[in-house]
Amino acid sequence: MSGVAQLMLLFIGAALVNNILLTRFIALCSFFGISNDMHTSIGMSLAVIFVMMMASTATWMFYYFLLKPLGVGEFLYIPAFILVIAALVQFVEMYLRKYSPALYRAMGIYLPLITTNCAVLAAATEAVKPGFFKMGIAYNFTLGENLIYTLGVSCGYGFALLSFTAMRERLELAQVPEWLKGSPMAFITAGLLTLGYIGLGSLFGL
Amino acid sequence: MKEWMRVLRNGLSLENPLTVLMIGLCSTLAVSTKLEGAFFMGIGVIFVLVMSNVLIAAVRKFTPDEVRIPIFIVIIASFVTIVDLVMKAYLPSVYSFLGVWIPLIVVNCIVLGRAEAFAYHNTVWLSVADGIGMGLGYTVIIAGLAAFRELFGSGQLQFLGATLVTMPAFYRPPNILLLFPGAFILFGLIIAGSQALNRRIAAKDAAQAASLKEAV
Repeated sequence: MSGVAQLMLLFIGAALVNNILLTRFIALCSFFGISNDMHTSIGMSLAVIFVMMMASTATWMFYYFLLKPLGVGEFLYIPAFILVIAALVQFVEMYLRKYSPALYRAMGIYLPLITTNCAVLAAATEAVKPGFFKMGIAYNFTLGENLIYTLGVSCGYGFALLSFTAMRERLELAQVPEWLKGSPMAFITAGLLTLGYIGLGSLFGL
Repeated sequence: MKEWMRVLRNGLSLENPLTVLMIGLCSTLAVSTKLEGAFFMGIGVIFVLVMSNVLIAAVRKFTPDEVRIPIFIVIIASFVTIVDLVMKAYLPSVYSFLGVWIPLIVVNCIVLGRAEAFAYHNTVWLSVADGIGMGLGYTVIIAGLAAFRELFGSGQLQFLGATLVTMPAFYRPPNILLLFPGAFILFGLIIAGSQALNRRIAAKDAAQAASLKEAV
């Protein structure tokens, strides 16, 4: 797979067709935890895009330049990847605390939890273990494809998070039955939102 | 021992990781299309939770605060690797169904969340209770949801190749239960139910306290 068209396809496939939040249920904790407030959602989306791009580049290099030549990729990829990601997140946290206290306060508990944001580890794992990747591509990504793929995944994350936040802000004003108020209604709304993504599944025959 | 039971019960009801704390949702919704997969996912999570809680509680006195998260993560990742390799060796069909979700136990918010919120501040003994309670709370919900979705979404319930229950022939399974919207909407209803239950428990406790006061 090469050429700009194929890369576009990879991007759209990762961002929309296989949207990481709504069709694959990865990283839902932050999805429901942080989607009360638009300002926070934007910050979180940008943080995730930033962290994911750096993390998947780092883990790709780590896997192909260190783990695979040493023949320990099969056993050590989980601890190795998560360590690289954790170190990166800690770095982003320190940076934000120093240079943007407002954003740091807004993200609260969720910034350390980017480490446990499944999206980051899932994208890193899928780049080197494509059997997990459900688009039917059975080969290993090159570094460039890995970057496009990760950009697609993280943009899809941001897109879904922002649209859901907008829906939830509107929902504050809606009249909801008493027993569904709060999080149950949020889940049902998300369920309706995903209905649209089923239609995207047949796009490009992916 | 009373305290131990209280912590254990907490995970099952008042602080159930899924329905109350709402963490660890990702795998719950994704894996709950098959009872078998959901059950072994639950077993894996219980194993990782208990073992990592024990180890983290044991080393909490020598863990520097600044690097605690990487330390937690390495401990958790080691136990997840054990689950990953064991499941690959002995349960290949379950392994291929769970796929990326096994490595993702590492970042299951429940495990790290409990390490940070509970094991890091409590004794080893209590952390065992917390691990079992939280793990069971997770497994009950995920297996229940999976059983419901598999039975009503595909028309029969299977476990390790054996068919447990089959719906009558006139029943036409609605595919939407197995697709993403079904997962979200069903889970929303589960949360609504558990919130109602917890409200009732809280009301009962309040009434009990009031009557105790009167008796005094």
